[in-house]
Amino acid sequence: MTSSSGAPLDDLDFGLLDRVREIYQAVDPMPEDLPERICFLLALRDLEVQVARLGAGQDLLVSARGTEQSRTITFESDSLTIMIRIDVNRDGTVRVDGWLAPAQCVGVELKTSASADALSASSDEQGRFAFARVPRGTAQLVARPEGQGRSVVTPALVL
Amino acid sequence: MPERGRVTVRAGQQDSGRVPAQAGRQARGRVPAQAGRQDRGERVAELLEAARAGSDEALGAIVAEHSPLLWHVARAAGLSSGDAEDVLQTVWLRLLAHLDDIRTSAALTGWLVVTARREAWRVRAAGRRQVPAEGEALDTLPDQGAGPQEQVLIDDQRRTLWVAIAQLSARCQELLRIVAFVPRPDYSAVAAELGMPVGSVGPTRGRCLAKLRVLLGMDPEGSLI
Repeated sequence: MTSSSGAPLDDLDFGLLDRVREIYQAVDPMPEDLPERICFLLALRDLEVQVARLGAGQDLLVSARGTEQSRTITFESDSLTIMIRIDVNRDGTVRVDGWLAPAQCVGVELKTSASADALSASSDEQGRFAFARVPRGTAQLVARPEGQGRSVVTPALVL
Repeated sequence: MPERGRVTVRAGQQDSGRVPAQAGRQARGRVPAQAGRQDRGERVAELLEAARAGSDEALGAIVAEHSPLLWHVARAAGLSSGDAEDVLQTVWLRLLAHLDDIRTSAALTGWLVVTARREAWRVRAAGRRQVPAEGEALDTLPDQGAGPQEQVLIDDQRRTLWVAIAQLSARCQELLRIVAFVPRPDYSAVAAELGMPVGSVGPTRGRCLAKLRVLLGMDPEGSLI
């Protein structure tokens, strides 16, 4: 071991740490849109919220450029599985059809970056819900079980 | 060049240290547009206060500024990108519950690093979607063949540094990666958590940084500096 390890940090150390930071920023950058997606989540101001995980092998950004006409995404949380199918409407908006498992009637909200007000829907006894026309952009689904169940929020996805 | 960046940062620190507190307050009161030059710690404290009062904008600014640090904490723990994102979401959600207790930049940085690290360990222990941290990043270094001369030179420096970092222990790699993203005035707040040695006047170089300096030829091995 070198004997200099007990010395106070000097300019050489600070310069070296700057370069270490630069190199990790270059080789493994944080996804650029991550802070925005986190802010979306925090804006709910709901400490008890459960964040659903994206099902294995799926990509939230796939077809963000509109190259696909239809895609299906599954989100999983401890209490709820949410599957959604996204279809592009002729007018450029998208249609979101969803299923909840286990099937249950809950309030479902879709927060979008295009509007301050969330779109609202309710699932039926089969756990189905739909949003017919959703503006494209970042969106996040929130299922709010009535009574004592915890809200489940999906990661933000790009429609 | 690294030298230039270093000088700039130092100058800024000295300025903020020399300005009398009262003059600083007056300047801020009169010229809010100069927020960029404001002492970082005070700026973060004001953002925290605004976030406590319910400002999504202030909270967003805090998230934007500190998320890269948390990303590298999680990735340094060996998590996949997806798991790292989950860790960040969890940590920031948890901060909402602790906003009342955290009032300074140092407290915020310390709390964030500790919480992110514990959460990263928990997720890693759960063993979900784990990927090895080693050997995945070097391939993504910029291609040395392309670009103007200066770019190639920078890439050469990077490659040299990268090779040196790779010779450090996993523990040192993790430590240096995290510390590199911690704002300097907040070093002391995270030092204990990271096992970073602290001398009488603040954090000291420590074995990891000393070893890196030797590997890069900055200090002759075993010399008494």
